[in-house]
Amino acid sequence: MSIINYANKEIQFKIVYYGPAVCGKTTNLAYIHSQVGPDNKGDLVSLATAADRTLFFDFLPLNAIAVKGFKTKFQLYTVPGQVIYDTTRQLVLRSVDGIVFVADSQWEKMEENLESFKNLEDNLGKQNLNMESLPYILQYNKRDMPNIAPITYLEYVLNNRKVRVQSFEAVASTGQNVFATLNAISRLLLYKFTRESDLASKRSKTSVLMSTVK
Amino acid sequence: METIPYLTKEDVAHLDTLLQDYLQKSEGSLVIVIDKGGTVIAQQGETGIIDITIVAALAAGSFAATKELARRIGEKEFSALYHQGKAQHMYMCSLDEYTVMITIFGERTTVGLVRFYAVNVTNPLAALLKTLRQRDSSSTRLLPAESVPGDKIFV
Repeated sequence: MSIINYANKEIQFKIVYYGPAVCGKTTNLAYIHSQVGPDNKGDLVSLATAADRTLFFDFLPLNAIAVKGFKTKFQLYTVPGQVIYDTTRQLVLRSVDGIVFVADSQWEKMEENLESFKNLEDNLGKQNLNMESLPYILQYNKRDMPNIAPITYLEYVLNNRKVRVQSFEAVASTGQNVFATLNAISRLLLYKFTRESDLASKRSKTSVLMSTVK
Repeated sequence: METIPYLTKEDVAHLDTLLQDYLQKSEGSLVIVIDKGGTVIAQQGETGIIDITIVAALAAGSFAATKELARRIGEKEFSALYHQGKAQHMYMCSLDEYTVMITIFGERTTVGLVRFYAVNVTNPLAALLKTLRQRDSSSTRLLPAESVPGDKIFV
C-alpha cells in the first residue's frame, strides 16, 4: 500500500497488471522496461517457467518525476494468468494501490476475460478491497488481431459498472497505448492521494475519466 | 490496520536508531524492513550495493509463498527464513502480522548471532510499527491537486 516517507521525500505505489492467461500483461511490462531510461527504472524481474509463462509474478520498479518535491516510485507487478495459480494472484494483490486489467480482445477469449475479472473482484474482496474504491484502468489488448470483438462489446461486458472507468485500445507488442495506460493509472493514484490527503477542497478535480482512447 | 500511511522524519530517525543498533550488534551488512506487500519501510547498512526495491519485492513473495507451505503442514506461517549462500546469506523474520525484516550478512558473523539480535529487536520494532499503523491517515497532508502532473508522468 502506498506510503509517504517525509524523511526521504518519497512516495511508493504498487500497481498490479491483472488479466487472463496470455493476454499481454508481461508484454506491457517488457515494453515499458525497454523504453524507460536507465536512471528511472530497475531490472525487470520475471519469475517465469521455462516456457516463459509467468509462474509467480513479474516486477518492474520505476521512478517518476517528483511531485511537489517528492520522488515517486511506482512498483509494477503482473500476476500469473493461468487459472490454477489463484493463490499466487492473491499474494501479489496484497497491499495493491491500483489495477490495470488487461483484456484479450479476441472473441474466443471473452469468457476468460470475464472469469478473470470476476476472479479479481473475488480476490480483492478477500482483502476487504473492492472495485468501487480501488483505482483501476481497463486495457483492451491485441487490437491488431483479426478476430477481435468491437470496443462497444468489450465496454458492455467489462466496463458496465455504476462508474465507468477509463479504457484503452492497445497493442502491447508494439507499444500502442502501453504508456497511455500506465500514465492513466499513475495519475489516478496521485489524484486519489490528493483526495485522501486534502479532502475537502480538491474533490471536484478527481473525477474519473470515462472515454475510450484509441 | 495494515498500512502505515506516512513516516515523519522523527519516525524514520527512531526506526534508524533501532536498526543501526541491531546491525552493529549482529554485524550484518544490510537490514531492510518491508511490509508483506513488498513496500520498503526502512533500511540501514550498505544500501548502495543492491537494488533494495527488487530485494523487497522478491522477499515479500518468498515469505508469502512459504506461508502457504506452512499452512499445508498446519502452521500459521514460518516466522523466520534463512537462505544460505557461499559468501552472502539472508535471514528474514516476521516482525508482526504485516511486516518482515530482512538481514543480509557475510562471513564476519553467523546466522546464530543474527538470529539472536533479530529476536531482541523484534519487540521494540513491532511496538513502534504498531503505533505508526494506528495513525489517522486523514491527517496526512500532501499533494495539492494542481501539483499532480498533467498528461504524461512517464514518457
